[in-house]
Amino acid sequence: MKAKIFIFFSIGLLVYLIDIGLNPDDNAKNIYISDQEITSLISAWKSQVGRNPTEDEIARIINNLIEEEILYREALLLGLDKEDRIIKRRLAQKITFLKQETLTDKPSNEALINFYELNKNNYYIQPTFSFTHYYFSAENNSKARSNAAIKLILSSSSKIKSDPFFLGKNFIDKTKDEISRNFGKFFSSNFNEISLDQWSGPFKSSFGHHIVLLKDSKPGYFPLITEVLNQVEVDLLAAQKESAVTTYIDQIKSEYKIIINPDLEF
Amino acid sequence: MKKNTYIRKILIGTPLIFIIVLGLIFVDVYDSRPILNLFKKTQSDSALQLVDYSVDKPASSKAMPAVNPERNAYFGDVHVHTKYSFDAYVFGVTASPDDAYNYAKGQGISHPLGYEMKLREPLDFYSVTDHGFYMGMIQAYADTSTDISQEDFAKPFNNLNRPENLNVESAAERSNIFSSVLANAIIQPNPWWHPDTLKAWFTKNTQRALNSFDYDIHKSAWSDIARSANEHNDPGHFTAFIGYEFTTSTDTEGGNLHRNVIFNSSIASIRPWTRIDSLNPEDLWTWQDGLRDKGIDTISMPHNSNGSNGQMFEMETFKGNAINRAYAEKRMRNEPIVEITQVKGTSDTHPLLSPDDEWADFEIMDKRVGSRPPTYSKPSGSYVRQAYQDGLTLDFTKQGNPYKFGLIGSTDTHTGAGSFDESNYWSKVGLLDGRPSNRGSVPLNQAQGKLLEEYMSAFNQPVSTVELDQGSYANTGFTQWGASGLAGAWAEENTRDSIFKAFKRKETFATTGSRIAVRFFAGYDLSSIDLNADSLVSEAYAKGVTMGSDLMNEGNKAPDFLVWAQRDKNGAALQRIQIIKGWIDMNSGTPHEEVYDVACSDGMSVDPISNRCPDNGARVNINDCSISQDAGASELKTVWNDPDFDSSAKSFYYVRVLENPTCRWSTWDAIKAGFKPREDLHETIQERAWSSPIWYVPAASDITVIPLGGSIAIGDS
Repeated sequence: MKAKIFIFFSIGLLVYLIDIGLNPDDNAKNIYISDQEITSLISAWKSQVGRNPTEDEIARIINNLIEEEILYREALLLGLDKEDRIIKRRLAQKITFLKQETLTDKPSNEALINFYELNKNNYYIQPTFSFTHYYFSAENNSKARSNAAIKLILSSSSKIKSDPFFLGKNFIDKTKDEISRNFGKFFSSNFNEISLDQWSGPFKSSFGHHIVLLKDSKPGYFPLITEVLNQVEVDLLAAQKESAVTTYIDQIKSEYKIIINPDLEF
Repeated sequence: MKKNTYIRKILIGTPLIFIIVLGLIFVDVYDSRPILNLFKKTQSDSALQLVDYSVDKPASSKAMPAVNPERNAYFGDVHVHTKYSFDAYVFGVTASPDDAYNYAKGQGISHPLGYEMKLREPLDFYSVTDHGFYMGMIQAYADTSTDISQEDFAKPFNNLNRPENLNVESAAERSNIFSSVLANAIIQPNPWWHPDTLKAWFTKNTQRALNSFDYDIHKSAWSDIARSANEHNDPGHFTAFIGYEFTTSTDTEGGNLHRNVIFNSSIASIRPWTRIDSLNPEDLWTWQDGLRDKGIDTISMPHNSNGSNGQMFEMETFKGNAINRAYAEKRMRNEPIVEITQVKGTSDTHPLLSPDDEWADFEIMDKRVGSRPPTYSKPSGSYVRQAYQDGLTLDFTKQGNPYKFGLIGSTDTHTGAGSFDESNYWSKVGLLDGRPSNRGSVPLNQAQGKLLEEYMSAFNQPVSTVELDQGSYANTGFTQWGASGLAGAWAEENTRDSIFKAFKRKETFATTGSRIAVRFFAGYDLSSIDLNADSLVSEAYAKGVTMGSDLMNEGNKAPDFLVWAQRDKNGAALQRIQIIKGWIDMNSGTPHEEVYDVACSDGMSVDPISNRCPDNGARVNINDCSISQDAGASELKTVWNDPDFDSSAKSFYYVRVLENPTCRWSTWDAIKAGFKPREDLHETIQERAWSSPIWYVPAASDITVIPLGGSIAIGDS
């Protein structure tokens, strides 16, 4: 009987000793701060405040870091990280950055050319238009007057009686966006069909009707890749970063099963 | 013998005593302290030290557009606050100057409450004008690693704008910080023997003597603002001015005397000159004169005269002295333009000042700026139109005219992003008014009501809600604010110099957020110009003077006024153009005013008896804010003659262009949230534009004003 109790006791002692041996508590309470961490914190501080930190301030920067670490660990022990939207979002963000950062290599020339060819439209130089116009104010029967004027001007070269336009007569090298800012969107859409050196219209704007003489139009063009190389590189890296995350998600998504209540009312 | 010494003593002593007494009186009266003045020779003036803030950047690849000698209308906002303003930071704003300029160029940026703010169309010019005093300091209080954040006064600011603290619930705390803590924090001088106090004295830099101030942090914020302006300035395409706000007020009454200062250069002073240097605007002008001597040109632009309790446009100086010509010239040299409209109301005129102007009751904000509890600001001396009249009266008494300024609008937003659009409004103070219920346009629920009560009691305002048909509404003053303030400038090209010169010659106009553009000329032969000829503008420039100018008399000839306005293509059509005339009676200097309609929409003409256009029938549907599509004009132009012209009267004329009525922001807020508009607010407004005036200068009169008790001392000297 006594021997049995002794055996149970020694097994208990053994379990206890193993437990202590496997959980060295001291290490869990160590906080390591690297030199690099401190220097990077200080340089960030400098750029914010505009001077070097004083001794006290350095101490406080480090102290803030330590306190944060302690609070963080204690919070983890209490399980406060569970079911917290902000923490989830932050972790999701971190893995996103991680996936993106694995691709910081300089892209090869081939990759650049391929990317440029695929996304040519983003580098398109907008066409510009230089034109003069006769304006017929909406305040003064603009539709009929402009219709009469276009007939007149096409049949003979006699002087046209029009109104002065608030923003002027001649517009030089304007893109369609700029024309829209001055005349309104529906007016600029006409510029695709206007032929050079020939009076056309009338076209409606936000302020009345116009007949337009297109003097010059510089066609839009795709620049040589060498002209926009820097931008292409920046864009390619950005695109690679983005696709890294989506492909990663696509790969991993299939491993998850999503359960959701289809009858939820809200 | 003895008698002789007595006499000698008296003979020598009397004049000596006399001289000493005279000297004391002199020192007392003129406040000149000879010994102190000797010491002052050892001082340097830190505020006049210059720094070149230009940045290296690659030349723009865009072609420089051609210069237009007939000038283009450029639109901008020169009153914008970011996180560097002490109050903006407290309101939860984290937008930087770079964010603000990106917004002006058309990018979306984030409101402190998380939603996106974006312009319908980019602006042509912009200036970040953070409060000069304590610039950048509150951010340093919030960062718990700085020395200054450890001081007791800074504790309430610690971690203020960490993401977890950016929410509406923090409004009460923020308001408390803003109203009481801040005031206590900033006036704590070091003892006189402290090295910083001595530095403050020797470099004329008072703020350094305050123990809540860190000069390095302050300079770092200012240089970031200047750098950002230089980086975003893009000659030919976008103009950014280095600027700040001189936030001063009268001592006891708290009459608002705020002014924005902008620089016409990439070089600026090493620090902004602030209310800690002096509360007196005259000292600001002295500093500006000093900069000008060093080749740096600046202008200051007063704003919110409506909240000045009559002190922005007084008939005497800040110190209560009589205004004289030197004062008038100095003021006009340094502040050629005034901000007539912004978020915190419009300062054209007040119904009590202009009882015969049916459009005077427009976006009136009748409280002193920043007063707690919000305190009435008296209209007289607070509005632009009366200032123009008072300027003429001062001129009549040969004291000079200190109120001969042009007009602009701007927003005064504190989120980095101006709010110009009634249908997309975020007011200006971040977390405090970023939601309709907080600004009083939709009813509060119970929880919000409770929050507001706490918030407002911290703000020293006992009653903060009003019970109306649809429930309990916030009644905290935000209902008097609005989506307003654009500056218009007529300039040859979109460059810093060209736009700055337009400001200086006052060829500027103001709008309430709409991009209405207006041209205005006066001359004696403008009626000969064919209004339907393309040469209209070049002829008007050749034959007349434009807004902001003087029109000299030509005998008894009556002038012609040419005015031409174009609608905002994204706004409502134009309803009418008016010319507002002010003049003084040349027998007594009594001011008068008259509002004339001069051009009507829809082909209608002005009734010559009432000087009014007939109703054009434009209406607003309050249920969905739709407006009549068939009424109103896309442009209006006319040549006008003053039917009551008196060639001997000093007068001024300025244009007011009115749009058809549209929904006010408070109505938009309400219908978007499914409520009816609040019954005690205007449901609609008429967006409008004002030109700078043209002053008619009659032949010199030989009237001398003799006050009771003798001839006036202030004269032609």
